[in-house]
Order: sequence, then C-alpha cells, then structure tokens
Amino acid sequence: MAGGGGGGGGGGCRRVRGPELRELLDSKRDVLFDCDGVIWNGEAAVAGAPEAVRLLKQRGKRVFFVTNNCTRPRGNYAHKFSRLGFADVSEEDIFSSAYCSAAYLRDVARLSGKVFAIGGHGVLQELRDAGVDVVAEDGAEGPDTSIYDCPLDPDVRAVLVGYDEKFNFMKLAKACCYLRDSECLFVATDPDPWHPLRGGRVTPGSGSLTAALETASSRKATVIGKPSRFMYECIASQFDLDPAQSLMVGDRLETDILFGANCGLSTVLTLTGVSTMEQAQEYKDSESPEKKDFVPDYVVESIADFSEALEDE
Amino acid sequence: MAVSKCSRLSGALVKQLLESVDSVLFDCDGVIWRGDQAIPGAPEVINSLKKSGKKVFFVTNNSTKTRKMYADKLGKLGFDASEEEVFGTAYCSAMYLKTVCRLQGKVYLIGSHAMRQELEAMGIQQVGVGPDPVSGGQSDWANVPLDPDVKAVLVGFDEHFSYMKLNRALQYLCDPECQFVGTNTDTRLPLEGGKAVPGTGCLLKAVETAAQRQAQVVGKPSNFMFECVANQFGLDPSKCLMVGDRLDTDIMLGSNCGLKTLLTLTGVSTVADAEAHQRSGCPHRQKMVPDYYVDSIAEILPALQG
Repeated sequence: MAGGGGGGGGGGCRRVRGPELRELLDSKRDVLFDCDGVIWNGEAAVAGAPEAVRLLKQRGKRVFFVTNNCTRPRGNYAHKFSRLGFADVSEEDIFSSAYCSAAYLRDVARLSGKVFAIGGHGVLQELRDAGVDVVAEDGAEGPDTSIYDCPLDPDVRAVLVGYDEKFNFMKLAKACCYLRDSECLFVATDPDPWHPLRGGRVTPGSGSLTAALETASSRKATVIGKPSRFMYECIASQFDLDPAQSLMVGDRLETDILFGANCGLSTVLTLTGVSTMEQAQEYKDSESPEKKDFVPDYVVESIADFSEALEDE
Repeated sequence: MAVSKCSRLSGALVKQLLESVDSVLFDCDGVIWRGDQAIPGAPEVINSLKKSGKKVFFVTNNSTKTRKMYADKLGKLGFDASEEEVFGTAYCSAMYLKTVCRLQGKVYLIGSHAMRQELEAMGIQQVGVGPDPVSGGQSDWANVPLDPDVKAVLVGFDEHFSYMKLNRALQYLCDPECQFVGTNTDTRLPLEGGKAVPGTGCLLKAVETAAQRQAQVVGKPSNFMFECVANQFGLDPSKCLMVGDRLDTDIMLGSNCGLKTLLTLTGVSTVADAEAHQRSGCPHRQKMVPDYYVDSIAEILPALQG
C-alpha cells in the first residue's frame, strides 16, 4: 500500500515502481538519501541517480544526503556530486557523520575544552569548521612518547572516534587514558563494522575501532551516525522536517532502514548496495519484535526506478 | 570441593588443602609478581611447594613472552622454575593451532615476536608480525595481496596494531574456511612498573567486529589452558589447585575444569566481588566464586614450613 501513512518500523517490504512509486514520492515532501550504494558506488554514480535527484527537486521535494561516511568534509562530497553529474547539490544538503559529530559536540554537548580525535581528514576538518578545538594524535612514537608513557593534554574534555586509516595502538592507549575521567565525553561517528569496496571487497569501519576503545575503557560511546537519531535531529534543527512527510532511502538494513524506523520515517531499500531482498525477508520472517524495525516499507531495484516513475507522467 | 565456598584460608585448613592436592597452578600477574617485582614471600612459597613434592605450574594469559622468557623472569625473581612448567598464551596458541585446529598452512599473525617464536618452534610459519603502516588508498587496502598459504588468523597482544593489520586480518577472515583464534580477551595488559595499557581483548574485539566473526579464544577461562598442562603432565583435576587474582579468568577456569580454587587479593578481584557473585544465584556467576581466599599467597608459607 503506497501513499501517505506514517513509517516507523514493521515495514511491508513491498516492491514498488511506476505509478505506485510515484504516488509514494508525491506523498512526501522530503527525501533523505544514503550515499554509498544508493547514489554512487565508489567513483561511479548509480545509473539514473543524477536524474532521479533532479526530478525530485523539480517536483518541489527537498533532497538531503545522510551518510555515515566520515572520511571527507562536506565540501569534498559536494565536489563529488558535481563530478558525478549531479547538478545543484550544495554542501548544506549533505549530512555526514563527521559533520554531525562536530555539530553534536558544539551544540548538544556544548563542549568547552578540546576533543581528542581519532579520525581522518573528514573528521578533523569538520571539527575545525565547527570551531571545536581539536587535539589530533598522529600516532607516531617519539623521544617523549611511547605506548607506555604518553603525555596527556589537560584541556581534553571529549574523545571522538571515527574511521582512521592511521589508527594504531598509541592512539588507542591515549584515548583510553583520557576516557578514565568519567566526565570526559566519549563519542563515535558511526557504528559501521565494515564498508564495502569495489569488487565485493570490504574494509574495516569506524565501528571496529570504536569497539576496541569501548573494550579498553569499559565505556559505551555515544554514536552519532545511523541508526541513531542524531543525524536526523541535526537536519531537523536546520530545516523544518516532519517525519510523516519524510522518506529515507538506503541500502543497508542495519543502518539506513533501522534509522528510518527510529525516526518515524517511511523507508525504501534499494538493492544497489549492501543488503539483499533475502536479508530483508529474513528480518520480516523473524519471530523477534525488534527485528521488525529492520524491515523496509518499500523496496526498489535501484534509484533509477525513481526517475522512471517520475518521468512516466 | 568445599561445601561452603569463599572461605578465608587459614589455620588447619591450609595444611588440609595442600595435602589434598598434588599440583598447584599459579597465575602470574597479581599473584606471584606485580610487574617486575615478586610478591613478597611468593618465591619461598613456590620453592617450598616443590620441595614438599608438589608439582607447580604457571598459567598466564599474557602473550608477550615465550616459555623461555618467562622461565628467565621467574629465575631472576628467585623462583625455582623451568620452561616446561610455564604455560603462557604464546605457547598455548601455537599448541592450539597445531592440535585443535590441526593447521596445515600459515598463520596471519597480529602479535609479538614471542608468539612468532612459539609458532616457529611448533613448525608453524607466520606472516604479518611487526610494524605495518598504511600506504596507498582504500582500493589498495582491499586489494592487499593475500598469501594463499594462510589458513588462520591469530590475534594476540601487539603494540604495532594498526588499521592496516586490522584490514589484512579482515581480508583473510572473509574466507569462512580461514580459522580465527585469539590468545585471550583481557582488556588490560599489566606492564613492568605497575602501569597498564589496553589489552589483547581490545584488539580482538576490533577484528571480531570488522569481520563479524567470533574468535576461538585460547586463554583463561577457556579450558584449553588447563588441558594443555593436564595432558602433558597427566594431572587429575580433583588433585589440582588453581591460584589466581581474577574471578572471571583464573577462578572461572578452575571451576570449569573441576579444580580447587584459591583467590589471592594481591591483584584485581576483591572478596566483595566474590561475595556478590555468590549472592547472585546465577549459575554462571557461581563459577566465579573461589573455594578459598587469602590476602597473599605468602600466607600459606607457614603451613609449608611447619
């Protein structure tokens, strides 16, 4: 059953295209897209994606991009959109977990003091752009530092952990030292255990680094990225969002679809990324009630189906 | 096995307990030494036990030393001990790969040179030990060349742990046929000088999370550590005493293997911790209640010398 109606979990896992899909899209004002596996795969746009975004905007929809990927600052993503043939996607429409983590520290936690950040360029840049004071550890051992004896900055009031290809034992040990103070905040950009790369390969995600730090410190991180609600609240704080009029489109059941359920949004699973129809069906057939939140309301083959549905008129 | 548990070991009980066992297994950190200092009286206890005909073994989750290195440390601190009596996870992991995994092939190792040495002594070749910084971009990491002879990933304490190592382990573990073994799950590693750093448990958790797989864990409280000792020396569990400072590793191991258990308070766990487990009524937690406790193992010395 397409059309209006609230989302929020317990989805029907219903394949939609053509007029039914158009009816669904017409009933929503805002569309939130995940990026990897939905809009693009690596450096290639998913066929039909630029067209789909263009058509949605043409019909007066607001389009936002909500990604757990924290490797690049928003500006870089905006350039990528442009490079891949998307007209008219600006920085302000892009919400990455790095950007939202910085916003969280500045606006929600109201951090006074420094952040010890484990992360790459995206994380560090977003923190700086948000005016948050960063201590970044480059992880190198020097004459005064080793894993057994590392000097701590007394102004650090928070630890932020995100994807970091330079992650090493030193960073883990230092972060753990800071986290011994229970007043020190512990924030993670996203929970993704691994990320898919081209050719079916995978790479370790922020979630695996966070797990190491949680184990070391016996503390749980506040996780900003999907499926937690923070990213939605971040968008809502800047734009006037109504969950009943918003649609979440993603490729990963455990992040995007669960995120949609957590925020009361209708959800669409696209099959161009991580999760499969079989996996969605498994969640649907499951006995446990919590698994229902992993089931999308609707399923499309790819975002190209959006263009097809909207062009048909 | 004592009917009432968690009793202070004192008076006549000490001699009674010692007479009821042939072998005593000691954890190391927090039991016989702290960092590079012997617990006062500990060398005398171990040496007296041996003189009185008891077998003595050292069972530690610490994977940073070979049996030989431990024997050297024991010797330096005044303990009369030999390599054969030491069971650290570097040695036991190699044993595990050989006898339980029946490994034919190489190991991708996240661990120490001590682990490498124990593997090589067991005839197992490893790849990966030492620094491994990242280079190139994401697509390079996913396409990192994999050694086709690697049939297992072993994770132990590694001060050179890096994203690249985590990545390589993940690539190997994408093959469900590739075995996945961890030395232990301790979250802290005690160091010389009384400090501590994040332990193997953290590194193992990172790999488990990335690979979405559970490792087979060799160290306490897994039974394997005791089985290793028992098989080599023909031990009868009912005649063994496990002495440790951690309820969740040492005492749990003792309970699981049917050993008598003695908690010493010179390390991590407290009597309050033990009593909380005892009151809980939860069967799993009951396994962490020791038969007896002492403030320090030095307290059993009078019974040995008397």
